[in-house]
Formats: sequence, structure tokens, C-alpha cells
Amino acid sequence: MRKRQIFLLALLFAVLAIASCFWLDRFQLLLVQSVATAGVAALALHVLTGMAGQISFSHAGLIGIGAYAGGILGNAGGDILSLVGAGVAGAVAAALIGWPALRLRGLYFAMATLAAQFLLEYLFKHLEPITHGASGLLVRPLTIFGYPLASDRSVALLSIVLLLMSWLVCSAIAGSHLGRCFIVVRESEIVARGMGINVARTKLAAFVISGSLAGIAGAVFAFASRLAHPETFSLSMSIDYVAMIIVGGLGSAGGALLGAGFVTIAPESLQRVGEALNLSDRVFAIREIVFGALIILFLIFEPSGLRAIVHRLGSRGLQFSREMSSKIKRRKLVR
Amino acid sequence: MMNRVLTNVLAVIASLLMGLLGSSGAKAQDLTVCLWGTITGPDASVNGMTYGMRDYFEFLNRFQGGILGTNVRTVLLDGRYRLDEELKNYRRCVDQEKAVLVSGWSTGATKALRDQISSDKVPFMSQSFASDALDPQQFPYIFIAGATYEQQIMIALRDLKARGGKRVVFMFADNEFGRAPIANVQKLKQIEELGLELVDSIEFKFDGQDFTGQVLRAKQANADMIYLQSSAGPTLAILRDAAKIGLKTDLFISNFYNLISSIPAQLGPAAEGFRAVQLYANWGDDVPAMKDILSYSRAQPVDKKDIYFMKGWMEGIAAAEAIRRTMAANGGKVPADLAAFRIDVRDALAGIKELDAGGIVPSLNFSKNQGSIQARISQVMQGIFVSQGPWIDAGK
Repeated sequence: MRKRQIFLLALLFAVLAIASCFWLDRFQLLLVQSVATAGVAALALHVLTGMAGQISFSHAGLIGIGAYAGGILGNAGGDILSLVGAGVAGAVAAALIGWPALRLRGLYFAMATLAAQFLLEYLFKHLEPITHGASGLLVRPLTIFGYPLASDRSVALLSIVLLLMSWLVCSAIAGSHLGRCFIVVRESEIVARGMGINVARTKLAAFVISGSLAGIAGAVFAFASRLAHPETFSLSMSIDYVAMIIVGGLGSAGGALLGAGFVTIAPESLQRVGEALNLSDRVFAIREIVFGALIILFLIFEPSGLRAIVHRLGSRGLQFSREMSSKIKRRKLVR
Repeated sequence: MMNRVLTNVLAVIASLLMGLLGSSGAKAQDLTVCLWGTITGPDASVNGMTYGMRDYFEFLNRFQGGILGTNVRTVLLDGRYRLDEELKNYRRCVDQEKAVLVSGWSTGATKALRDQISSDKVPFMSQSFASDALDPQQFPYIFIAGATYEQQIMIALRDLKARGGKRVVFMFADNEFGRAPIANVQKLKQIEELGLELVDSIEFKFDGQDFTGQVLRAKQANADMIYLQSSAGPTLAILRDAAKIGLKTDLFISNFYNLISSIPAQLGPAAEGFRAVQLYANWGDDVPAMKDILSYSRAQPVDKKDIYFMKGWMEGIAAAEAIRRTMAANGGKVPADLAAFRIDVRDALAGIKELDAGGIVPSLNFSKNQGSIQARISQVMQGIFVSQGPWIDAGK
């Protein structure tokens, strides 16, 4: 797809999503906000893992950094700067983790990020003067230019706008020299070095961009939930995000977004199916099993993820509409 | 081939689900109570609280024709002990299910939701015992159903004093549930006021597997009592390790969430003498409510046969009474205005005094949004928890 088409598609999607916010109920708005926020964080991981090929398990920690930074700045009256500050805090934390960790490769790098995740979890719990320790930091509603975003609708709208911006940033990176460097590093570090690419610096850039977007997502999460709590930003959250980009389709921004939607909505949807079948009591445990089984099915039968399925459905739809229109034309000719 | 099948299955599921997520079919004039607990998650061992409350309403529907002739629709959800999931459940309960009363779970979620609960004006029963969740002036719609963790600690400290002990050790988990009550008790200097001495405070990892180091430290402190601010999982491991190093089990006392049969069942003799603060009647006690529970369980099998189910059943009694009083004031009908109905149910709940809770607690009083604060101590004797002594007021 051309850049212009991507931009128009993203814009159309955002306009539709924003318009839908005016007729959704508060629960549906919360789902929209959850998917959009997860989408921003999934795009962040897409930059690091999907584009630059670095597997990270410290993503939840970086989201947590953003949540605390955004919350603290917001509580201090930081207005829109609290979102910016959360992005900066995420980027700085990513740089601090990335500087030593990026000398490592593959599984060793993943292990280093795992260590960073545990370190960040420890800090969230024990840096009491800053994080309020185990009881968590209560966060006031975000204000944008003095206007408080206290309603679910306003937070959902903000998260959609941020998602659109993050998508555009990712698309811009993908088409840039830096994006191409990411892909070369992902495919082969040896080739990248041979081409004169500074591998460590390129990986660090991916980590910093990823950390910055994760920080912004964390701030939105904190402003939406009104609490930054250390138990939220745990390893299981990091694993959820890895699952999102794999299920969605590794290496594609669209796939990361589809994965974010799937992982956020699927458990809720399975629950509703169970309720519709009058099995709500039994479905709780089954829900996790079905969800896990779906991920395994994806890995085995559709490694390209939801993106490939959506693409196929789209082509099938197009083919169907073409067939229908040609049938209609033929009927007209017969008449 | 498989790809096509997967595509088709997903397409069908997606279209089905998009429709399902849109609406729940709840109407404002329904009488709905919405509950969530950790059905699957780290503290699922005590989720009888949620089932107990749900089952009390189902009991009313089955045996008494609902409340004043109106069936109660119950919605049971899984919070998974995850903040995002609990926030989602709350929103669904309030907006989609149009519940007149919501029962939630964790301290974290209650704290995160407290402003929303105040602005939505929905009576909210939290399963937390955290004092942070309780503030009738600032958050009048939030109710808890028993003595706070701090009050439970005070019960244990007063018991120690009555036995002539002096030296206290706190062992607590490294999360909010573990830390906050211990910090609050220390801040208020309540140990010193009782003439006791805190000789050590030992923090441990909530998801730790081996606590030998911590129990060795507790042993060195030569304490007369070791208060565990913990839940069943770590408690099991701590008592196991205490037995390993020869630290006497009867030194340990813990909060209500450790009155779980798996402790004596799994530890055997190593659990003998372990004590916990009991806030409600045990499953199987000779109390009037047990007869109703057994009648219900004959019609609808109950899986969670424990003290936590009893707590939930008691919460159901209180919530149903508040709804009944509100409906009675409206000519026995469900008020058409849901917002006003919720406010009235909140006021009715806060107005409950000396309510007969079927013997699960001595008497029920929600005037301070807290329910009964009567407590007693229960001790493992010959493999089961046995209540010791009469109910005492944890607030005094």
C-alpha cells in the first residue's frame, strides 16, 4: 500500500472510531479505550520485536514507568506535559536497560530484558516515596490544556488519537532509512555490519522509540484506571504483549493492532459466549484454555497471524463482490 | 485447508461476538445484582465469598419467590485478580447489566474505583478488609463486611496480652495486602499502647516458595506470637518451613484468609495449634443459616463448602434486606428510576442495625459501612479449625 493510502485508511479508521464513541455505552467505551491503549503498547513492541527483531520481556516494566511518570506529573498539574513526560521517562528507562543489554543477542538479550522486568517490578514496589509502594499511586484525571478528561468518552477519544499518532509514527519509521536499518538488523546482524550499519546504535534506537511509545501507553492506562499499581505491570503483562504481536502477525503494524484487539477482546467475548450458552460458571476456566488453544492453533496453522486471515477475508470479500457484480451485469445483458 | 477452516471459524466467532458484546439484554426495571470475584487467579481459594452471595439470591429465587415476589437476576463475573479485568467488570455491572448493587473483590480495584463508585452512586460491597477501602464520609457507597485487617491484628495482640505474652513478630507479604495493615498498626503505636514489644518485622515474597530464612529469623527473635499477614499459599509454606526448623506452630496466628481447610489437610501435624482470626460461623456450624444453605445445596450443589461461602451468604442477607426495604417503601415494586433505586438501597444498607444474619455473625450492623466487627480466634485441633471462646468486639 502506498503511504497516502495508509494515511487515508488510518484517518478513516480514526474518524469512524471517534464517531462511534458518541453512541457507545460506558462499558463499550472502556473496551475501546483498552484496545486502543493496548494497541499503542503493541505498536511499541512491534518497533522493537517486529521491526528490529529483538524479543523483550520488559515491556510491562516500561509501560509501568510511563504509568508512574504520567501519574506523578499529572497529579502535579503537568497537563499535556504528563503524557510527554511519560514518553520521555519510557525512552530514558529503555535507554538505560538497552545500553548494556543490546550488546547481547537473541535469547541472551531476552534474558537481560527479563532481568530488567524483575528489577522494575522491585522498584515499583519498593521506591515508596515515588511510587507509593505496594498500595499504588492514585492518579487524578488527566487535563489537556486545563480541560479535565474525567469521562470514559474523553479518555477513549484520547486513546484513539494517540493510537492514530503511534500508527503514523510507526508507518513513518517503516518507510525511513532507520526503519530499513531495523529490518536489516532483524534479518542478519552480520549483513547489517557489512552494510556499515551501527548495529548497537540501531538496536538502541528501536528500544528507545519502543520505550517512549510504551511510556505513553502506560500513562493512558494510569489516567484511565486512576491507579498505577505495581502488581499490574508484571511479567504476565509482558507476555500478553508478546502474544499480541505474534497472534496479530509478527513484523506488521496492522498485525500488532489486530493482536491487541484480539488479546483484549477475546477473553471477554468467550465469556459472553459462555453466558449465552448458560455456562457462565464453567466458562471461566475454559475461557483461558480456549484462549491458549487459539494461540497454539495460530502458531501451528497460521504463523502469519490474524493479519493473514484478515487479508484472506478481505480478498474473499472482494472476490465475492466482483462475482456478484459480474452476475448482475450478466443478468442485465440477458434481459 | 486448515487455514481456511481457521479463517471461517474466526470469522463466524468474530461476527457472533461483536453482536454479543453490544448488549446484555438487561433492562432498567430488572432487579439485577452483579458480582465478581477471583474465579480463576491467585486468590481463588477464597472465592466462596462471591459464590455465597450469588447463591443466597438464587436461594431467595428458588425458595421464597425472589424479593417481594420479584426474581433477582444475578450476574457472576471473573475478576482474575487483575486490575484491568476488575475495572471492566465494574463498568459492565453498572452500565450494561444495570445492577442495583455490585459486589467487587480486591483492595486495588476498590481503591481505583472509589471515585467512579461515588459518582455512579452504586452501592458497592468490597471483599477487601483494607481500612483504605473504608471511609463512609468520603466514599459512602463502599461497604466492607467485617473487621479490617488492622482490627484483626488488634484481636490477636489483645489475645497475646490476655495470655501474658509480650514479644511480637510481624511476618507479612511484600504487597499491599501484606504491608499496609502492618504499617498502619505500627503508625498508630497500638502495640506499645498494649504494653507489648515488636521485636521484628519480616517481609517475604508473596509468591515465594521457600521461607526458611524468614522463619529462622523469627525463631531468633524468640517471640511469644508471630502474626502472619498473608494468604493461604504463603502461609502453607511458612508453616511447613517453621516445622522444619522446629519453630512451634502455636506461635503463629493469622488473618481471616487463612481459615482454610487445606492448611491442616496438607500440613497434618505441622498445622496443629495454628490460629487465625475468625469473623463468621464455619461451614457446618449449628446456626439457622446453615439449614437454608443445606436446603439450597440439596437443590443446587454447592462446591465451596467453607467459611468464605458463609461470608458471601451473609453479605447476600444484608444486600437482600436493603433491597427488600427499598422495594417495600415503593409499594413492593422495583423502582422505575434505577439511579434513585441505587441511592435508596445504599441508604437502606447503611441503615441496617441488629439484623439477624442467621447466626453467621452475632448481629449485623452496617451503620459505619463495615458490617459486623465481631471476631473470635480459631485454632487447628486434630486436623480441623475449632473456634475458641466467645465472639469479641474487634472495634474496642
